Amino acid sequence: MKTKTVELVASPREPHFVGDGFRVHNFIPSGYRMDMQRMSPFLLLDYNSTYNFPASEKPRGVGVHPHKGFETVTIAYKGKVAHHDNSGGGGVIGEGDVQWMTAAKGILHKEYHEEEWSKKGGDFQMVQLWINLPAKDKKKEPKYQAIKNENINRYELPDNAGQIEVIAGKYKGTKGSASTFTPVNLFNAKLKKGGKADFQFPADYNTALLVLEGNIMVNGKEETPTDHLALMANDGENFEIEALDDALVLVLSGEPINEPIAAQGPFVMNTREELMQAFNDFNMGKFGYLED
Amino acid sequence: MNSPKLKLFLTSNLDIDDDEILSILKSCQVKSVKKDAFLLRENEHCKHTFFVESGLIRQYSIDDKGKEHTISFAPENWFVSDRESVYFDEASAYYIQALEDSEVVMIDEDFFLKLSEEIPSFTDFNNKLLHNHIRHLQKRINMLLSASAEQRYLEFVAMYPDILLRVPQTMIASYLGITPESLSRVRKELARKNFKK
Repeated sequence: MKTKTVELVASPREPHFVGDGFRVHNFIPSGYRMDMQRMSPFLLLDYNSTYNFPASEKPRGVGVHPHKGFETVTIAYKGKVAHHDNSGGGGVIGEGDVQWMTAAKGILHKEYHEEEWSKKGGDFQMVQLWINLPAKDKKKEPKYQAIKNENINRYELPDNAGQIEVIAGKYKGTKGSASTFTPVNLFNAKLKKGGKADFQFPADYNTALLVLEGNIMVNGKEETPTDHLALMANDGENFEIEALDDALVLVLSGEPINEPIAAQGPFVMNTREELMQAFNDFNMGKFGYLED
Repeated sequence: MNSPKLKLFLTSNLDIDDDEILSILKSCQVKSVKKDAFLLRENEHCKHTFFVESGLIRQYSIDDKGKEHTISFAPENWFVSDRESVYFDEASAYYIQALEDSEVVMIDEDFFLKLSEEIPSFTDFNNKLLHNHIRHLQKRINMLLSASAEQRYLEFVAMYPDILLRVPQTMIASYLGITPESLSRVRKELARKNFKK
């Protein structure tokens, strides 16, 4: 077994607003060589680093928009997000919760700060990740996995080093709470100062570490500060992280989907024709209708 | 000078090789414009035609009551300009503004002169573009006078397949010459007809 080394440590890019409720740094796919092919099956990683939203009677957020051909995973670290879709589905993603939405053949939804949270305002920290689906699953029915924090399976690290929340995949025998279409590992590593955790993924799995709290050391030599992302190379299987302070790290690692990607806006298909069809379907109302 | 889309547009429509086109394109400046920045404001004299390499630009006017009227959207590979102002050197009645962070090639009259001098086929090509533009404008006038809201909407999405997802509904309504409520009714009715669970 070889060590998986750090390919680069990316600093957060200049933030931009998605709607008026999400102030995000984009790590995937813009810049740093982390395009959709390189990072497959991960298509997009938007990180809302801790940001204080003042109280607002009218909840901030993103209005009605479609998705098709992939999954969105929303992890609320601080703050709460409410969502509604065109089939009457909806809910609240509370602090620590994960929403795994399979858009597949198409969904129309909107996402806002939860009403009561919005009235008080406060610190907001969130990750939204887009995960591709293979061609055979792009036409499946949409579905949600609403995973409450208390239901996320956990692995307690030895020596009181902390714990690993296994959202998807598997960590040392503890299985993830979410089901996936292709092999995807998604963990929250909560480490106490000085705590260590080691990880093992196949060399070809595309892997990254997003540091949400604290500072960490990867493989004993690469320091990755808060709000930075370490992209791991595809040169080995094993790596170790050590918390230099109490730390929270989102670990993502997935088997690449070796299919062509045709992506534009909220649609991710395999060919240009399928992409144009998706726009046409949306324009013609085939995704349904939802009031803003 | 980095304008790969304009270069491709010209080389695929004109009998011209890469070296020639590069030497002509050298005189054009590529400008990065941030979302909301203006390329032209009312009463200014427009000096350029803008070719959109990336992003999205809008041309519009504002009436006496402060209401905006969208003349055109220009996504990637589109030209946008106030031709009256450029050609007749008149004060412009329009605003040209970036709706997204964009890159535009600033094309001045010299560029067209140079192309006409060096490439005989350019004049014919430019004529065709102008007539295309006149056809589009005439059709737009006719639709604004005679077509239903749904017909206008269908014509719009056929021409601009991805704009609906990139701009606020109010701007699309202001292009179609209908109220946002009317646009919403059209879209709701289409969904009622075409959405299958």
